[in-house]
Amino acid sequence: MASRTLALALAAVFAGSSALAQEALKAAYRADGLPLDPRADVWQEVPSMTVTLEGQTVTEPMVMEASITEVQVQALTDGRDIAFRLVWQDTTEDRFQVVGRFSDAVAVMVPYRPSDEVPITMGAPGDRVLILHWAAFRQENLDNGYADVTKLHPNAVYDWYPHAKKPYRYPEDWRNQYALAYIGGEKLFRKNTLNTPVREVVAEGFGTSTWKDVQRAEGKGVYADGSWQVVIRRRFVEENTSNPDWGPGKRTFFTVAVWDGSAGDRGGRKTLGYAWIPLEVEAAP
Amino acid sequence: MPTVYNWQIRRELDYPYEHERPKKQFAMVMDLNKCIACQTCTIACKTTWTPGRGQEYMLWNNVETKPYGFYPLGWDVKLLDLLGDSQKWVDATYEGPTLFDVAPEGDTLGKWMPDEYDWAFPNVGEDEVSEPVDVGTVMETLPHLAWMFYLPRICNHCTYPACVAACPRKAIYKRPEDGIVLIDPERCEGYQECVAACPYKKSIFNAVARISQKCIGCFPKVEAGYQPQCVTTCIGRIRLQGFISPPDQVRPDNPIDFLVHVKKVALPLYPQTGLEPNVYYIPPIHVPRSFLRQMFGPGVDHALRTYERMRRGEEPELQGLLHLFGSTERISHSFRVVDGEVIGFDEHGREIVRVPLVEPYQERPHEDPALEVVRQDIP
Repeated sequence: MASRTLALALAAVFAGSSALAQEALKAAYRADGLPLDPRADVWQEVPSMTVTLEGQTVTEPMVMEASITEVQVQALTDGRDIAFRLVWQDTTEDRFQVVGRFSDAVAVMVPYRPSDEVPITMGAPGDRVLILHWAAFRQENLDNGYADVTKLHPNAVYDWYPHAKKPYRYPEDWRNQYALAYIGGEKLFRKNTLNTPVREVVAEGFGTSTWKDVQRAEGKGVYADGSWQVVIRRRFVEENTSNPDWGPGKRTFFTVAVWDGSAGDRGGRKTLGYAWIPLEVEAAP
Repeated sequence: MPTVYNWQIRRELDYPYEHERPKKQFAMVMDLNKCIACQTCTIACKTTWTPGRGQEYMLWNNVETKPYGFYPLGWDVKLLDLLGDSQKWVDATYEGPTLFDVAPEGDTLGKWMPDEYDWAFPNVGEDEVSEPVDVGTVMETLPHLAWMFYLPRICNHCTYPACVAACPRKAIYKRPEDGIVLIDPERCEGYQECVAACPYKKSIFNAVARISQKCIGCFPKVEAGYQPQCVTTCIGRIRLQGFISPPDQVRPDNPIDFLVHVKKVALPLYPQTGLEPNVYYIPPIHVPRSFLRQMFGPGVDHALRTYERMRRGEEPELQGLLHLFGSTERISHSFRVVDGEVIGFDEHGREIVRVPLVEPYQERPHEDPALEVVRQDIP
């Protein structure tokens, strides 16, 4: 497809430009744990980098006018995990993914191969990237209960669901093979009932992002004073699954994408940093 | 972008994917002259496929009253708006823009996203006629002065689906074996690009499961040789499901080919979208031609003339075939009308149903002289 060729061409351009004097983000070593709470005092002492975002205009559907143009990024490591804190201004708090409305979200992308030659367009066949994607709608489920019908539409009345038990709360009362068939099957059910607002995705190019079987990344997002503050935390090496080549004392790259639900952002409709940013992980002293 | 050929509008268009026609293409014919909006199809579909959480508002099959009924609100008005003022047909060729031609910068095709409330009134406009009728008005000529008709709708399982073109995750696919279009619930992330893209609005979002869902053409039944639930439960016997051939491979004994390609009495819904929808409608005879032409394209006049001839008894084969509608749960791959009967055959040419064109009946005199009674008009 023409758009893929274009993507690869652009990727080469961006990869080339990023190699110039791009400042590196340092994930400083901290022995006593990485706070999930983005409001924790620890984060005030960690240096922050501003990443400039632009609308995704490589493949359709695109964002022709970015509504979020920058995000502040910090990183910490304890030698086993890495935690990113991402802060951006967004005047609208979108915590639901419902009919015709979309959720705010943020993602950090890291190449499996620690090279800025990996296409920034979500990798390429054989050249995999890891994407850690936090979404406000998942945070909402964890903070305030699953966005079930009764929560989305408190006055809704429905007589009877033939395959579920009363009082019909999702997900509790739908955990049987007959009911699951009507709501997308067991795999989808598992996705919707993860106890984390962050999903782990791998991709080898646009349109290929796929949930990993192992989902252990954690996170927390808080909206306050017109800003989202989100922490995403993951082990460098998770067992029984594939991992990027990263860890203490190593250098790799990352970039960030942000979705503004009110602007209709979802999927490829996002704003992102078009250049790989070096990420230097401090080793334990 | 690859170029594909759409026979319904007799022109080529650009589609994001290379195209190979499926081995068979799921198709359905609905005779709009017979639909009474009893919604048995809707309920059959609902109880079979969408009784789940988040599916409360979801109707894969719906029946709406035209001109003022819509599910979701205004779907066809928005579709016509998207395509703009230059929807021009020259004879049987569409020379106006398709949905792909009206794509805004940065998108694959022209879209609109229904609001939550757009889905909330599936029976809006029900039974409303086109204009007020004075007391004492008599309508004896066609088309009627004031009119309405019922439009049953399912997914059109388009040859060039907008949903497939729009999905950035390639979560939607068209099955090569029967052309049924399905959403993979494990790949879908609920971006709703398909909801915005489908001009017929037959891809619908489940806010609890967080995926889009759509009519699956009752594929487990179709795979076993049976017609979908909405067809086999139709009490008006307005529907027939089968498989349609491309125009260069028409089999006149294939019921769908006969209706669509040979007699040209069944027409696609808004063919100007460019998607080559595969549900075909026999247009209602009492509705003004301008409305029908906008909806079904320029084939309307021929279709209505043929249907009128059938009503006068001048199209015995067509008349016979219409008796196959609703007469068997099985899919008829071919048919024959002989000696006052229509016979349906399965994929292997085995007879599956035989229907008399006139059912046997007995006339009894009003008075029974033996018993000295008058018979009441009861069975």
